[in-house]
Amino acid sequence: MSSVAVAHHEHHHDTDSIDVFGFWLYILTDCILFASLFATYVVLHHPGAYGPDLKEHISLNYVLVETFALLASNFTFGLAIISMKKNKVQMPLFWLVLTFIFGAIFVGMEVTEFVNLIEEGYSYTTSGAASAFFTLVGTHGLHVSFGLLWILTMIIQIPMFGINQTIKRRMVYLGLFWNFLDIVWIFLFSIVYLMGAM
Amino acid sequence: MGNHVHQPDFGTGEKSLGIYSFGILLCVVLTLIPFWAVMHGTFSRGETLVVIFISALLQFLVQVVCFLRLNYSTEQSKMNVLSFYLAILILFVIVGGSLWIMWSLRYNMMH
Repeated sequence: MSSVAVAHHEHHHDTDSIDVFGFWLYILTDCILFASLFATYVVLHHPGAYGPDLKEHISLNYVLVETFALLASNFTFGLAIISMKKNKVQMPLFWLVLTFIFGAIFVGMEVTEFVNLIEEGYSYTTSGAASAFFTLVGTHGLHVSFGLLWILTMIIQIPMFGINQTIKRRMVYLGLFWNFLDIVWIFLFSIVYLMGAM
Repeated sequence: MGNHVHQPDFGTGEKSLGIYSFGILLCVVLTLIPFWAVMHGTFSRGETLVVIFISALLQFLVQVVCFLRLNYSTEQSKMNVLSFYLAILILFVIVGGSLWIMWSLRYNMMH
């Protein structure tokens, strides 16, 4: 009825909204992937599980720095989105580069942690619990790595095309993805690291 | 709120510096609290678990409201929120269901 008139009036924005909704549905299915991995992790980490204890191998200070790196990158991405309102290229670009740096710090720290864990003898082949740990944390890290690749793509595209409707839509996609990864990380550090270190 | 500048939000909600800064501040506090609780170990095991879960849940809500900006303002954003609820339901079935089954299995094998 009245919504038909509105839809007709803002036809372009409306199809964009439907595109974003489609991407949102993808994010939700990704949530289900992570839910399965979380379920596997929690089931395999019951008390008295076979294999070495994760507790002796994790440093909470290190994880706290990782957490803040990801949180900071999430915040600078928000600033990039907000600064796009002025339709100028410089500020969004600046915040995106900062987002990339924080994200890269996160991935770098996680890879270093994995290498150290494997050297200490807590490898993905050690036990079922260790496999679940590497799969869960590794899947998240892989997502962040692809997010970094995407941020890099936007850093190239923004100076090329300027701030237009398409770029704004792509930034909304990327924002949803990047924010989603930080939300998954909340549960990751709570369940894997904090509960693991208790 | 007066939203005179026409900024298409694609059903994801208006972003503003004020809300973002408020959100990040809450997230930092809600991250520090559980880390502090575990690292200093002043609470009992049960209390620490409660602190971890409440902080995680609150930070999740803060990020959804302040960063994702889920809201009921338009038809589109309502669809976003509804599909979000469906995903949370599926999530609970997967995680809760797995734990339920495995706990029952363990219980029945031990007793």
